[in-house]
This record gives sequence, C-alpha cells and structure tokens, in this order.
Amino acid sequence: CPNESGTCQVPLGELFERAVRLSHYIHFLSSEMFNEFDERYSQGRDFITKAVNGCHTSSLTTPEDKEQTQQIHHGDLLNLIVGVLRSWNDPLIHLASEVQRIKEAPATILWKATEIEEQNKRLLEGMEKIIGRIHSGETGNEVYSQWEDLPSLQLDDEDSRLFAFYKLLHCLRRDSHKIDNYLKVLRCRLIHDSNC
Amino acid sequence: SSERFIQIPNVSPPEKPKIIKCRSPEKETFTCWWKPGSNGGRPTNYTFLYSKEGEQQVHECPDYRSGGPNSCYFDKKHTSFWTVYNITVRATNEVGSNVSDPHYVDVTYIVQPDPPVNISLELKKPINRKKYLVLTWSPPPLADVRSGWLTLEYELQIKPEEGEEWEVRVLQVFARWCFLINLSCNFKFFLHADYAYARCVSLNNSGFLLEFRVKEMAVWIT
Repeated sequence: CPNESGTCQVPLGELFERAVRLSHYIHFLSSEMFNEFDERYSQGRDFITKAVNGCHTSSLTTPEDKEQTQQIHHGDLLNLIVGVLRSWNDPLIHLASEVQRIKEAPATILWKATEIEEQNKRLLEGMEKIIGRIHSGETGNEVYSQWEDLPSLQLDDEDSRLFAFYKLLHCLRRDSHKIDNYLKVLRCRLIHDSNC
Repeated sequence: SSERFIQIPNVSPPEKPKIIKCRSPEKETFTCWWKPGSNGGRPTNYTFLYSKEGEQQVHECPDYRSGGPNSCYFDKKHTSFWTVYNITVRATNEVGSNVSDPHYVDVTYIVQPDPPVNISLELKKPINRKKYLVLTWSPPPLADVRSGWLTLEYELQIKPEEGEEWEVRVLQVFARWCFLINLSCNFKFFLHADYAYARCVSLNNSGFLLEFRVKEMAVWIT
C-alpha cells in the first residue's frame, strides 16, 4: 500500500469507482423522487411546459453531447462537475427541510431528499480528492451557480408551491444524470484508456 | 315523407396528427414518429416543428426520410442532451391545417438500446469438476460502450423449463460480456440490454430467448 512518500493512498481508479457508484446512486434516487412526485402531484397541472428553462444551473455551460464531452479537457470537466455539485449544496438543504411541509408527502420522498443531500456532500468531497490527486494538490476554482428560489418553495398558494418543487426535482434529476454521465466518461478516459 | 339530400362537401381540414413516440437507440441520435389523423379527403402535408430549451427559434425537422414514414430523424449534430425539445406536427391540406398537441422530450430519457447480439451458450466439461455453462454476448452494435458515454445494464432471466417464474439477475457488466452459470437443471434464458435511466422501457422484441437442454444434467436435480 505505501507509495514513495510512505503514506497510504487509495488508487485513483478506486476513487473513480467510488465516485461513480455514488453518482449513480444519487441519480437513481433523484429519478425515483421525481417520478413519485410527478405521479402524485402533476396530474393535469402542465408543470413540464412551465419548467422549461428554469434550472438555476443553466448558467453553467456544460457539454451537451458525446463529442463535446470527449473534446473537453479532463481538468475542465472535473471542475464543471464540482461546480454543478456545489450549486446543489444550498438547494438540497432547503429541499430536505421544505419537502416535509408538502401535504401528504410520502415518507419515501422525505427520506430520499435527506439521503441525496448527504450523498451529494460525500460525492463533492470525493471529487475534491480526485481533483487534488490529478492536479497534485491544486483545487478547482470556486465557480458555481447561486440558487435563489427558496421563497417559491414556501409560497402559500399550493399550486405555485408544488410547481416550485416540481421544477427543483426536474433539475435535480437532470443535473445528477449529467454528473453521473460525465464521471463515467472520465473513468473510461482516465482509468481505462478510453476502452471500457 | 320526403327525403331531403344535403350535399356535404367531402373535403375538410386534416385531423390533428398525434406524436406517438421518440426513441434514441444509442444515446447519440433520436427519431420521433407521429400518427396522421384523417387527411380530410385531400392530399396532406406534414410539417414537423421543434424548439429547444434555451432557444427562441423554431426549426423544421432536419431529416424526414431516415426514420421511415411519418418520422423525423435527428442526427448527432441536431441531438442535445439535458435539454427539453418542444415538438409539434402540423398537418395541412388545401382546405386548412391542424396542429398536434405539443410533445416534450429530453433525449436523456428516451434511450432504448437495441438488444445484445451474438448470444451463445456453451457447455464446459472440465475434468474432475462439475460441468457448467458459459453465456457470452456482445453489446448492441450501435452502442459505444467503450467511451463510457453509454453504460448498459443487462438483465438475465433464467427459469427451469417446467418452472413458472423467471429468476431475474441484473448484470452490471463493465468489461467482459460473459457470465457463468452453474447448471443444476434445464434452463431457458432470456437476455436483454436495458438502460438504467430509462423510465419505461418496452421489453417486447428487445431480447433473445435461448433454450438450452442438457439431458445428462438431469441427474443433478435434487
């Protein structure tokens, strides 16, 4: 186990495996939570039409297809992942607490919101570790997107409040998939020499 | 009583078309299909229009041919992920026109891979050890799994020939397309590739049924 400096280090490949396991799990939870919410509260409300263009992270420019993802430098892609993860720190804290006030919210939604909040923090720590390893100690820049939608989760009007939750869960599902997808591409590129 | 005849012109605007499905087989391109309504008795033209999240412009379908009749194919250049496409189809004849209800698509969630190929099952007879089966297959040809852009999961269903229930095993296959099965009975195998993120994947016709009989194995049945 010890490396040249005599300390014990988890191999980079194993760090990626752990990160991918986490990102996969977070996306799985986010999808389930979105689907449960959608089935229960969206009927006849036409939320999706209004939710288009609404994600607070849309100001972060990220690759939109396979070619763009392959062309971007791995260091930049890692920083983008961290940027998106950081942008979710704050909304996830509020999601986990505000979701408790939805009328008759099923326990599974409450549990998932808390679990995602915790796992997101763990993934962020892991990503910082990976970046530290690749850039030999240098951490990525502090770019992230501010979320300012807390008041909408606390609106008195039920329809508007439910829509705010819908939008947040829709964006969470999207961003967690994005992160999972980028991480799987990076794992193949950096650990398996683009031959997964 | 006299019958009266009212002449109704048998020409009317076409009915609303209906967008029925969109699918991406390899997570790089996608196709949408629509079902025309009645054409109102006149030749009818269909115009497929879409706009993408974050953009104001409305575009027309880039390729009406590649996906077959009543379809629109989006090649790699026209396919973005994590973006909602707002799609409508307009039917027009010489009397008038009608527009379908809008359809919202995020390509991320319509990925439905082709089935795995080259499925084979081989009986191995090691000396002094129990016989076993080796099941091998290849990912669907269109799927680029090497880059990590698309990650496939395989589901293997096994059941004894006389059994009622399929035993399901999800295989998180990463590098090797191979699966060892301890033989204890006659089995039927069913393998399909699935996509972990798809919400509703139709399994019809997307797998292979493989029957395998090993008569001599019957002695192992307890």
